[in-house]
Amino acid sequence: MIEDNTNIAKKNFFSFGKRGDTKSKNNMRKRDGLSAVVFLTPTMIIFLTFILFPVIFSFYLSFHEWNMFSSEATYVGIDNYKRMMQSNEFWSVLKNTGIYTIGTVPLNMIVALLVAMALNKKIKGKKFLRTAFFAPVIISPVAAAVIWRWIYDPNYGLLNYGISFFGVGSINWLNDPTAAMFALIIMGVWKTFGINMVLFSAGLAGIPETYYEAADIDGAGKFSKFWHITLPMLAPTTFFIMIMSMISSFQVFDLVYVLTSGGPLGSTKVLVFYVYEYAFKFFEMGYASAVAYVLFVILIILTLLQVRYMKNRVHGAF
Amino acid sequence: MKFIKTLNISKSVLKHIVIYALAFITLAPFVWMILTSLKDMSEIFVYPPQWFPTEFRFDNYSKAFEAAPFGRYYFNSIFIAVTVTFGQLVTCSMAAFAFARLQFPGRNILFYLFLGTMMIPYNVTMIPSFLVLYWLGWIDTYYALIVPGLASAFGTFLLRQFFITIPKELEEAAYIDGATKLQVLRTIIVPLAKPALATLAVFTFMGVFNDFIWALIVINSEDMQTVQLGLAIFRDRYLTQWDLLMAGSVTAVLPILIVFFFAQKYFIQGITLSGLKE
Amino acid sequence: MKRITVFLIISIFSFYMLSGCGDESKDDGKTKVVFWHSFVSSTVPALNALIKDFEEQHPHITIQAQYIPTGDALVQKLITSIQSKTAPDISWLHAHYMEDLVKADAIYKMEEFINGPNGISQEDVEDIYPALRQYASWRGTLYSIPMEATNLALLYNKDMFRAAGLDPEQPPKDWDELKDFARKLTFDKDGDGKLDQVGFFLPVYPAAGPLGAWMLWQFHPFLWQAGGYKIDLEQTHVMYNEEAGVQALTLWQEIYQDLKLSVFTSDYDVAFASKNLAMAMDGPWNLPRYEEILKGMDWAFAPLPTGPVKSATIVGGEYLAIFKQSKNPEAAWEFIKWIIEPEVQAKWAMTSGYLPIRRAVLDVPEFQEYLEENPNFKVFVEQMDVGQAERPIDFGGMEIMRHMMDAIERATLGKQDVRKALEDAAKLSNKVLNDAKAKRK
Repeated sequence: MIEDNTNIAKKNFFSFGKRGDTKSKNNMRKRDGLSAVVFLTPTMIIFLTFILFPVIFSFYLSFHEWNMFSSEATYVGIDNYKRMMQSNEFWSVLKNTGIYTIGTVPLNMIVALLVAMALNKKIKGKKFLRTAFFAPVIISPVAAAVIWRWIYDPNYGLLNYGISFFGVGSINWLNDPTAAMFALIIMGVWKTFGINMVLFSAGLAGIPETYYEAADIDGAGKFSKFWHITLPMLAPTTFFIMIMSMISSFQVFDLVYVLTSGGPLGSTKVLVFYVYEYAFKFFEMGYASAVAYVLFVILIILTLLQVRYMKNRVHGAF
Repeated sequence: MKFIKTLNISKSVLKHIVIYALAFITLAPFVWMILTSLKDMSEIFVYPPQWFPTEFRFDNYSKAFEAAPFGRYYFNSIFIAVTVTFGQLVTCSMAAFAFARLQFPGRNILFYLFLGTMMIPYNVTMIPSFLVLYWLGWIDTYYALIVPGLASAFGTFLLRQFFITIPKELEEAAYIDGATKLQVLRTIIVPLAKPALATLAVFTFMGVFNDFIWALIVINSEDMQTVQLGLAIFRDRYLTQWDLLMAGSVTAVLPILIVFFFAQKYFIQGITLSGLKE
Repeated sequence: MKRITVFLIISIFSFYMLSGCGDESKDDGKTKVVFWHSFVSSTVPALNALIKDFEEQHPHITIQAQYIPTGDALVQKLITSIQSKTAPDISWLHAHYMEDLVKADAIYKMEEFINGPNGISQEDVEDIYPALRQYASWRGTLYSIPMEATNLALLYNKDMFRAAGLDPEQPPKDWDELKDFARKLTFDKDGDGKLDQVGFFLPVYPAAGPLGAWMLWQFHPFLWQAGGYKIDLEQTHVMYNEEAGVQALTLWQEIYQDLKLSVFTSDYDVAFASKNLAMAMDGPWNLPRYEEILKGMDWAFAPLPTGPVKSATIVGGEYLAIFKQSKNPEAAWEFIKWIIEPEVQAKWAMTSGYLPIRRAVLDVPEFQEYLEENPNFKVFVEQMDVGQAERPIDFGGMEIMRHMMDAIERATLGKQDVRKALEDAAKLSNKVLNDAKAKRK
């Protein structure tokens, strides 16, 4: 029975493939094409006008020099890209962004999944708990930064107070290049894990109870149920969360802006902060757009890698 | 046997302790914000920081509300957020259905295009987006705040991922009964995807309600300002009025908390396959 | 079904809302001047009173003051409004993007109004403090007019001076005293290894502000006091790495390291109010707040200490420009012209807490009285005479500032030798200058 369930899960798991259902395939496809037009039209009109066009426009800008105030942009070829490759700062910013992503994404997802699963069990005050875990998501970054600055305060901060029990002396968390990135990661996880918790909760709620009931009849253990039902059934959600967390941590901006402004010594300066600086501090929209497109390429590659990995897992051994 | 039972109870107690401790840690900054909003300016300027005000004062709230016509701002923000949320639920579930269930040429490419647009940071697309609105003549109208939000790559992707998990067998029966695709979406998929729709609703509402920069650049008129724009008046180049800013921020969080609280019963609404056939 | 009904209701409602708005300016033949500013809410009453005065004296003009959030928000708003041809008549702006506004031909040269039929005399223009005029100009041409001024002075706690055996009426006069007093005012009361009181504050990271702007602002006076400059007048090479820069940065490094500022809080104002900090540099904008929260404490502002070469402080302000998209530039000018009249400036300074922009204000009798009653405010006003402005950098200014900021951070945090840090940064900055020059050819 468990096998059957996982097969259902597998089949629906990640249907990027071209295989449709075998029965009456051709007939279905024709009808599908028409319906697809109907279903996609509202979204597509808005998508093309307000989302895709600006994205393409900024690609165009990446080959130009434009200060945004004037009405014309000057064509500069691939100068912006060349300049980026030659800039030491760009590479260090890229590295910082990588560190931040590696630091936040797995931690964020693990915490979110554990909390979502705990809240899926018998626990008193679920509504309160869920709201509490979601609260950091809602709070404004400015207000959050005030509070975290106090937590990280070298003299009276809660964090130093906490670690003083372990005989560690005062650390200025925001002042030390290594510690600052760490501080940023912790705040980042705190601020965003609530989003993933909600997504995981919704994913868990979407798993039909019958699968577990069937597994109970077969006498499956907790771990077996988690491995054979929860994880595979949650895979589309997990994939979504992974892609979105990756995108959002690669694009982290607000938190850096309010907590560290990229310092000390540029140790927490991340890609989008760099983009922002060039766009709205140096008024070089062309260069900023070029950096944004490098970010785009990196994210696309990472996404495709994940798609492949997920596909292999589905058809490989589970 | 008895031993195992007590073990179970203590395990459950432990679990409660751990999860409540975690909840208090995540909630602490929030509580801090509320307590700060009740403090006098001189109590905010205390180092090391004190948790509780000497007396609970609510003048910050009345002062903050006098600083700008916040009533109007709340109306605008909530109106825009509600409209966009409803619109997005409709457009995204339709598009997601197409991506999850329909076979059509170019589906994968289109889907990746959707995903791809999320990978360009807002900082560089903001000005081009603005120009589109300007060419349409929509600057300083509600259209500018609502229409661009009516489609979402994020929402489409989110719903698609949930629709995939719904067993196809359920729809096949409906198709045999002669249901159209729209009917299947409305009567089978949407009810089953309530957790996902509720999630999307919360995120969209929150995103629109908290938006600052987009509202800033497309709106000029005083009577169309939003709450987040209003809150900015407590900070300038040199100083921040923490007492008023915190009071304003607390009230700005409330609508989202309310939406979250009501939506959450859907997050946990598990589905049972047997229940569907009724 | 229910959902569709709700959606319909919303659509109808929204249509009504959308068509309902868009009220045109039906102002009974009056000329409307839209004025963008970013005054914090506590300054707004003073601004409203100012505008009311103006409108009473100029019945044919109405000023529509519109609040635009400060900083980047104002910049983004200016960019998009210029692109969509909805720029205001008058707006605040700041020196670092004046270049871009001028290049986009978005703002008027002020001389067009100053020398026009409704102009002002050259003496009036020259009465404005030179530092402010410099900020208001781009490459020697005046493109804006300052509306108010600020500068930096030394805030100190007199009680702490007494306790440390120092004369509370004798704040530090020079760099040596500053260093010496700062050390004497720094101690660990309870012997737990943590400093309970710190003598002086330097806004190095994380108190440096976005892009280190606040830190650079506080560093400049020291550079000038040692006789240095950021860049030469012809803008061929940077000068902050010369001897004056080395002296100023060495002073900062010594103070920062001596007072262990790396483990001190970044909120200097909070630390000062809670009696953990004896001295800090601060501006007049905090005066009203301090008067409220520092009750029961004996504190005062003093002029900044004099450096090895001279006295200097940094001046800032808000600058008003008239946009070429304005339909009523003459009316906009009328407002600006009125705002800089000595009597108006005096009243504005007394109600808003900002400093006047010109010397003639000091001759206004009410203002004289006001200064006698407000000695702290007087310190700031008097310091305007030694106020300096940052020398402009026409091309690549922001990048050069960032190199300078990096050098200050590296040296004060003790990561690099002062001279080496400045040299490295200067090399990068000069490259920016040369590249910009090559590009223009």
